[in-house]
This record gives sequence, structure tokens and C-alpha cells, in this order.
Amino acid sequence: MVGGRGLGLRTRRLYLPLGFFLVATLFPFYWMFVTSIKPNRELYNAKIMPLVVHQPTLQHYVDLLSQTNFLTWTYNTMLVAVVTTLVSLVLGTMMAYPLARLRFPGAAVIAIGVAATYLVPQPLLFIPMSDVINRLGLGNTLTAVMLTYPTLLIPFCAWLLMGYFKSVPRELEEAARIDGASRFQAMTRVVLPLCTPGLLSAGIFAFTLAQNEFLYALIFLTTSEVRTVPVGAIAELIRGDVFYWGQLMAAALLGSVPVAVVYSFFVEYYVAGLTAGSVKN
Amino acid sequence: MRTRREFLTVTVVLGAAAALGPRSTGAAPKSMSVLHESSFIKAFDEFFVKKLALEYEKLTGIKINYEPVSVGSLLTRMTTVAETRSGPEVTATGFNWPWLFEQSLVDVTDLANEIGQKLGPWYDSVTDAVVINRKWKGLPWGNIGQLEVYRTDWFKEVGVTKFPDTWEELLDVGRKLKQKGHPFGFELGHGWGDNHGWLYPLLWSYGGREVDRDGKTVLLDSDETARAVDFCRRFYKETMLEDVLGWTDVNNNKAFLGEQISCTNNASSILVVAKRDFPELGRVTDHALNPQGPKGRYHLLNPQSHSIFTFAQDVNAAKAFLRWLYDDRQLSAWLVAGDAYYAPFLHAYDNHPMWNPEPRYIPYKESLKTSRLPGWPGPPSHAMSESMAKYAVVDMFAKACQGAPTKEVIAAAVLQLKQIYKAK
Repeated sequence: MVGGRGLGLRTRRLYLPLGFFLVATLFPFYWMFVTSIKPNRELYNAKIMPLVVHQPTLQHYVDLLSQTNFLTWTYNTMLVAVVTTLVSLVLGTMMAYPLARLRFPGAAVIAIGVAATYLVPQPLLFIPMSDVINRLGLGNTLTAVMLTYPTLLIPFCAWLLMGYFKSVPRELEEAARIDGASRFQAMTRVVLPLCTPGLLSAGIFAFTLAQNEFLYALIFLTTSEVRTVPVGAIAELIRGDVFYWGQLMAAALLGSVPVAVVYSFFVEYYVAGLTAGSVKN
Repeated sequence: MRTRREFLTVTVVLGAAAALGPRSTGAAPKSMSVLHESSFIKAFDEFFVKKLALEYEKLTGIKINYEPVSVGSLLTRMTTVAETRSGPEVTATGFNWPWLFEQSLVDVTDLANEIGQKLGPWYDSVTDAVVINRKWKGLPWGNIGQLEVYRTDWFKEVGVTKFPDTWEELLDVGRKLKQKGHPFGFELGHGWGDNHGWLYPLLWSYGGREVDRDGKTVLLDSDETARAVDFCRRFYKETMLEDVLGWTDVNNNKAFLGEQISCTNNASSILVVAKRDFPELGRVTDHALNPQGPKGRYHLLNPQSHSIFTFAQDVNAAKAFLRWLYDDRQLSAWLVAGDAYYAPFLHAYDNHPMWNPEPRYIPYKESLKTSRLPGWPGPPSHAMSESMAKYAVVDMFAKACQGAPTKEVIAAAVLQLKQIYKAK
């Protein structure tokens, strides 16, 4: 057992480090929370203790929800994140499986190409990508980002999933084939269920990346009604050299809730996915 | 589609049709878009959306879409629009941006002349920013000025009732105020405006220049620059909070509103927020022109203008919209909604009622006569923007404040500027 039996030893080895990590992890959320419920008078007062709220107010939340399109931005963000995650997972799996499992000429080059594609910086791509989107007549629509995010996410998912597919013993799949399963059935009924933690890891990462993406959203989504949270909040809550700190923090806090919920549902699979292969029996 | 081949054929044909299909019907546009940076004055944006755009649609049937982007994002959007030749017809610009996108912007000299005749003449200082090869590439609507913002009550505590006229006098006052626990806070970090807003005027007021009129000869290495740098070091050490070296434009607002500093260089945003959220502070906040140095008094020019992209579906329709927008009836009301945050470049507005409700904004109007673009007297070129983006002048002053010798910081800045201006 971690920390041994004695209370003192246990405190030193378990509770103290655990407490430290807990504080470090939750502090940003606490900071966002206290900032979001402070009146402006307290926000700007450098003489009072910044971690305590003296006169809490929900005014920033009221203003955020009543004076901006925050709920629309949240809906747009969720829609885009869910669609792009699903598309990226399906296409990423279709790319990763043959690269990990099948032997064909050029497989290694393609695998390197996948990694290289993921590494191309966005600032190099946004102008040509914008040209394509405009030619398709998709400017200022959510479809624009639903089409462009997978260009980042598919290579990422494929790259991540290739590792998981390789960790599944070939013998399992071969046994299925001997029992009469087709290649597709072997993949969907044997390999994919075994790779659930990997799929979840890739899915959560893809979801988070899609939710936070800024540059393409800034370029393609130009009116408030179609914007996502990162672009909408910054466009409307940062005006000149004045930041609406309370509303910004309220938006950040509310915006991070969906991801926290997703993580909490899948945390066990997610951790299993991250650590798969790290310990051999 | 029964086979993969059919699917691929249909996809390719549809893709080609989308790519090569007609993009313009030649008919009058049903709508046009105007790209803007979110205004610090929310009412300025709202007036456009809720009043001007609706009125214009009622009048002409053309819907005007207002596309605000956050501060710092407008150049990215403009670049994309100019490179892909697709997007909004009209865009707002700042500083020397019409020079950066000159090839993509329509000549609006005819409009500028019309407006100048009705409401002008235009201020001379603004032509540097928007007139390129004798062609107007933008129609300025106002300057976002950078002035001294100070606490009148704390200045009175050290016997000062009128803002100091020279940098040396300000240093003297600042020294006393810092001793009383009310330091100054002038940005020396990598923000986007409040650093250049006082450091270029300081340099110019001591006679220092970044580059000559030819845009190639770097002039920074001079006794005048050295004197400005020496002054800045003393000014920082004897009057300011230490952390100004890491500040961006947000920090001095926050420090002033948090009653940590007694003086800074800023636009009028501090007073606007103070009046709204901290009325007691608003009553003791005032503005003043930048102090003068041995070679004069200067301010930074940041003209906000409207330009039309050359690929606009109907350039004449876009021009007609701007002609309507710059008519006194519309422009006047819009500027009033802007709460005098933008100082207009048309002399007809010198005594406009917009200046009456708050006389403390008047110095922003007065500063137009002595305002220059960053890099002045050099031409407002790409190199000038690069110099600004790389903080060549700001870092020269900041390094001196950190303790580096004057000669060393000037030499480093000169080396960087020579690379930027391709000078030998």
C-alpha cells in the first residue's frame, strides 16, 4: 500500500504529495471561479487578498448570458467538437488500422507522412485552407470548421491509434480469421474492442483540441452567431486595452465544464489508454 | 452511385464545379460586410449594428454585416482576406496598414476629396497613413490617441495643479510622488500600443529618429537618442513601479484603476472605465498632452480608417456605402456614440458637440497636430511595421532601464534596424 501503515508515514508519502497535486490542479479553476464572482471594485483592488471574495456577485454570469451570445457559442462549440471528433475517430481508425496491420509497399512512408502532416503548423495552412473554404462557398458556416478541423485531428488520431493497434497481438486476429471472420469483422469485433481505451484517449484529445481551436475559427467564423466560445469570448469580452475579467473567467469556467464532464465519465478508460503497454505481465 | 469509380467521378466533378463556378453575378449586392476591430466603446459597435446598418438596409435594400474581431486579430483577418481575395468588401485599418495592403485596396481619392470639401479640410498628419502615391487608400474616421493620464488629487499632494510641461519636470514630480507611495507606471513590455505610445514621442522629443525619410538610412545612433535613453533610465528608476518592464497594455489600466499608480500613458479608456465603475476615481483622473523635450512635443498617430478591397463584388456599391457613412448626419452621430474615443481628422469636427460633455477628452483632439506614425520620418513601409512588431525601439529603452549601458542598447537596436531596413 502506498505510504505504509503508520499515519505519519502515510501523511508524508501519500496525503502531502496528493494534496500538493490536488491544489496545483484545482488552483486555476479556483482562480477562475473567484474572479468570476468578484465585483469589479474587488477585481481591481490590489490591496486586498486576491484569493478571497468579500462581496460575491453573479453579475458577470448574468451579463455573460444576457449581453453576449455565449449560449449560442457553447452550442456551436459542442456541435463542432462532437462532429469533428466522430469524423476524426472514424477516418483516423480507417487510416491507422491498415498502417499498423497490413503489409503493403510504402506503408512506412505513409506512416511518417501522417506524423509529418500533424506537425505542419496551422499558420502555414490557414490561407490556402481559407481559399478552399471560400471556393466551396462555406465561409462563415460551422461546416467550414467541421471540414478543416479533421485535417489536424485525423493525422493525430491515426498516429495515436497506430500504436494501440500494434499492441494487440496478431494471434487474436488470426484466430478470428481462422474461425471465419472477414478482415473487417476481425477489426470491428476483435481489435477495436480491445483498443477502446485508445479510442477514448484519441477521442478526448480530439474533442479538447476541437473545442479550444482558435485560428481557423477566427478566420472562418466571422459573425457572432456562428462563433465558437474561444473566438466569441475574446472578440466580445476584450475591448481595446480593457478586459472584462469577470465575464471572461465566467466564460472560461462554463466552457471547461463540458470537458470536465466528459473526462469524469471516461477517466478510467482514459488512464488505462494512456498507460497501456507501460507495464508487461 | 454503385461503384467507387462513380463516387470518385461525381466528387471530382462537383469539386471542380465549386472551384471554377461563377463567383459574381454582376448584379447589385444583396449584402456587404464590414470588418472591424471590436471597439473599446461598446456603444460604438452597437450604434453601427443597431442603427446605421439597419438604416442603410432600409434605404437601399443592401444588408450590411458588421464583423468585429478581437484586438490584435484584425491584421490576421485582413491578410487572409487579401490573400484569398474573398471576404468582406470594406475593412477598418489602423496605423500604416493601408500601405501594407496597398495592392488590394481601392483608390478612394474621389471620396476623400468629396468628404474633405464638405467636412474638411483633413488634418495633414493623417495623409502619411492613408495617401500612397497620391492616392487615398483609406478614409480616416478618427485617431486613437495616447496621452498622459494622471491623478489630479495625488499630483496636488506634491503641489502640482497643472500637468508638467517638460519630461524633466515630470521626472521631478514623479520622484516626489514615488516617495509618497504613488509611483508612475509607463509600459515598457511587449504590448501593442501603450509602449510605442510614449517611447516614440520621447525619442522624437529629444531629437532622436529611427530612420531617415528614404526609409533606408538608420539614424538611431545619435547623441539625441542617447539623451532620450539616459532620461528614460532615470525616469524608470526614480518614478516607476519595477514591474512595468513586463507590462502589456492591460496592466497600466489595471494598475491605475487599482490605485497603484499616479500617472501613465494611455488612450481615454482608463477614464471611461473609471467613470463607469469607479466614480470617485473618475472625478480625480485627467488627461494631458505628452511633455515636451528639447526638440519639441510629439504624440503617436494611430488613425482608424475604412478601406475597400479591390475584389469587392461591386466596388461602386461599397463606395456608395462609405459616401453615405461619411455624410455628416451618420458620421456625426456615430462619433458621438463613440464618446470622443476617436478624434476625427476632419476640421469640421474641431468644435463638434461630441467634445462638450467631457472636456477632459479635448487633449486627444489637440494632440492630432503633433501626432506621427511610428518610424517617422521614415515612410510607413513594411519595414516600419516589422520594426514595430519586433519592438526595436521599445527594447532599446527597456534594456537601458534594466541596467544595460546606453551605447550597448543603441548599438543592438541599430543592428536590428539595419537588418529590418536592409541598410548597410
